Amino acid sequence: MTASAARSVETASAPAPDGSPLLSVRGLRTTVTTGGETFDVVRDLSLDIYPNEIMCLVGESGCGKSITALSIMRLLPTPPVRVREGEILFKGRDLLRLKNRRMRRLRSDSISMIFQDPLTSLDPVFTVGDVIAEVIRSHRKVKGSEARRMAGEVLTKVGLPDPITRLDSYPHELSGGMRQRVMIAMALVLDPDILIADEPTTALDVTVQAQILDQLINEQRRRNMSMLLITHDLAVVAAVADRVAVMYAGEIVEEAPVDELFENPRHPYTQGLLRALPQVSIKRERLVPIPGLVPPPQLMPPGCRFAPRCSYAVDRCWTEHPELADDPEGRTFRCFNPQPFTA
Amino acid sequence: MKTLAARTVYMVVVLVLSSIAVFYAIRLSGGDATAARLPASATYEQREAFKDQLGLNDPIYEQYFNYIGRVFSGDLGTSLTNNAQISDLLLTHGRNSLILGAAAFVLVFAIGIPLGMLASLRRNSWWDGGIMTFSVAGMAVPNFWLALLAVWLFASVLGWFPSAGCCSPRQLALPAVVLAMEGIALTVRMTRSAMLENLNQDFVRTLRAGGLSESSVVGRHVFRNALVPIVSLAGLRIGQIVGYALVVETIFGWPGLGQVLVNAVLRRDYPVAQFFSLVLVTIVLLGNWLADVGYTVVNPRLRKA
Repeated sequence: MTASAARSVETASAPAPDGSPLLSVRGLRTTVTTGGETFDVVRDLSLDIYPNEIMCLVGESGCGKSITALSIMRLLPTPPVRVREGEILFKGRDLLRLKNRRMRRLRSDSISMIFQDPLTSLDPVFTVGDVIAEVIRSHRKVKGSEARRMAGEVLTKVGLPDPITRLDSYPHELSGGMRQRVMIAMALVLDPDILIADEPTTALDVTVQAQILDQLINEQRRRNMSMLLITHDLAVVAAVADRVAVMYAGEIVEEAPVDELFENPRHPYTQGLLRALPQVSIKRERLVPIPGLVPPPQLMPPGCRFAPRCSYAVDRCWTEHPELADDPEGRTFRCFNPQPFTA
Repeated sequence: MKTLAARTVYMVVVLVLSSIAVFYAIRLSGGDATAARLPASATYEQREAFKDQLGLNDPIYEQYFNYIGRVFSGDLGTSLTNNAQISDLLLTHGRNSLILGAAAFVLVFAIGIPLGMLASLRRNSWWDGGIMTFSVAGMAVPNFWLALLAVWLFASVLGWFPSAGCCSPRQLALPAVVLAMEGIALTVRMTRSAMLENLNQDFVRTLRAGGLSESSVVGRHVFRNALVPIVSLAGLRIGQIVGYALVVETIFGWPGLGQVLVNAVLRRDYPVAQFFSLVLVTIVLLGNWLADVGYTVVNPRLRKA
């Protein structure tokens, strides 16, 4: 799937978010401590997710996308990774201040998460039905038989072939796509308000990727659910996102409705990502890679974190850290010297 | 179940080979089978006549086939030293050994698994340090020495337990603990590392994301996964217990199979020694076989639908 091909399928719509956000991350700072030193892996990250929308979080591996998601779920491997600053407001309540027990009840009931690798992400010694039923019964007072019925029902809804027989299957007896459907079923069985999907299709075959993505989007629409979709695949973003936040080296560098981002990216990193994207419709001489690598946390430049790889960097970029700000046209990005985009 | 059949065939093959090995080893190890029954003044001719009578001068393979034939027809033979029926020895001493071995086997897991879990859940704490020190000591201390130490401390000095005898619970306590000690130590380590390994698996994060309680995630899911290697270890523990029973039964004067076997070997009591050797080999093989079966039962990935 390419960006342009996928976009033609999708009716381009970028609803201006109205009302108050369902989930609002404010000034999140998450650090990792190794060898006695502490580094920021996510810094000053703010993100709003509104009801019914699909927010995409995009960026290279290691830019802090997954850490952001795990921070929201409060599932960080602590130590060494922990949230230091910020608040995560869900329906007005700060998740970071909730007691463990309250947070546990919210998980999968209000906020669900699915993970990248469906093979290692499912308990190998329990059947699919047992685990889904256990998720149900840890939140709802229902009988075992009723939980099993609900498990069968949700497996049917997510398009698992032969769902009732599959209740008694172990993860190793399922294919990658089937496992991911099981994980989706597990995440949706309690009808959450938000689904966080961390690279849900990355580990799958290309043909299966499209099916799983379709399933996710259908469920999102049917349930009027919000979704935070984490991906590094811009084609996926173009196909499904309402709004997009681009992350680089632990920070959001640009945020925009999906059409604006693809038509007129403002941040040089976003522009670089789009230029590096292979497109079927445009016959390019060659792809344009972004030179260099993401700096490791201990060597983070004091100014703009993208400056060492940026061809438009000016003196100020090396000394002063740009803040995420709106420009006069209402675009939000983190750059002192934005350039017009040329593909 | 194809693997199960293969394992069973393998077990029988090993049993046949070890019966041959036992038979030859005991006859080629020197010593005089007649010493126990004939007076020291007996002449060479008298000794040879006695051996002829028992068939001990026949070629060993002939003795072997005769012996196997008799065993399969239900005749286990009698002791050369006191004419006791071997089937009687098997019943009385076998029962005693079963009590001791079963007690030790239960202790291995009843003590080893909880200690290992505690160490893994309180990782790098004083609990962990203490338990792991105990575990290293349990593996390092040879159990004949541990037996002597236990007798000295708990029987001689403190007087809490009798130093020997059979078969009251108080008499059982010391030999059972000594017999179980290395198994406990290994099970502690095994449990701890299996728990820690599984606590870091991706599926744990998924279960937490599913809103399961920590007690279910750890006590049910991580524990079930950690049990896979522990159960596969269980059959091997049987073999270990059988091996150490020879020493422990002798030191504690526990009248079990181990003691019978040790005495029979010392007196060159061929029928008794070879039969009970084979009994012990069979138990060890059954233990290994059970380990394979158990591994398949607890690990769905190896179960064939």
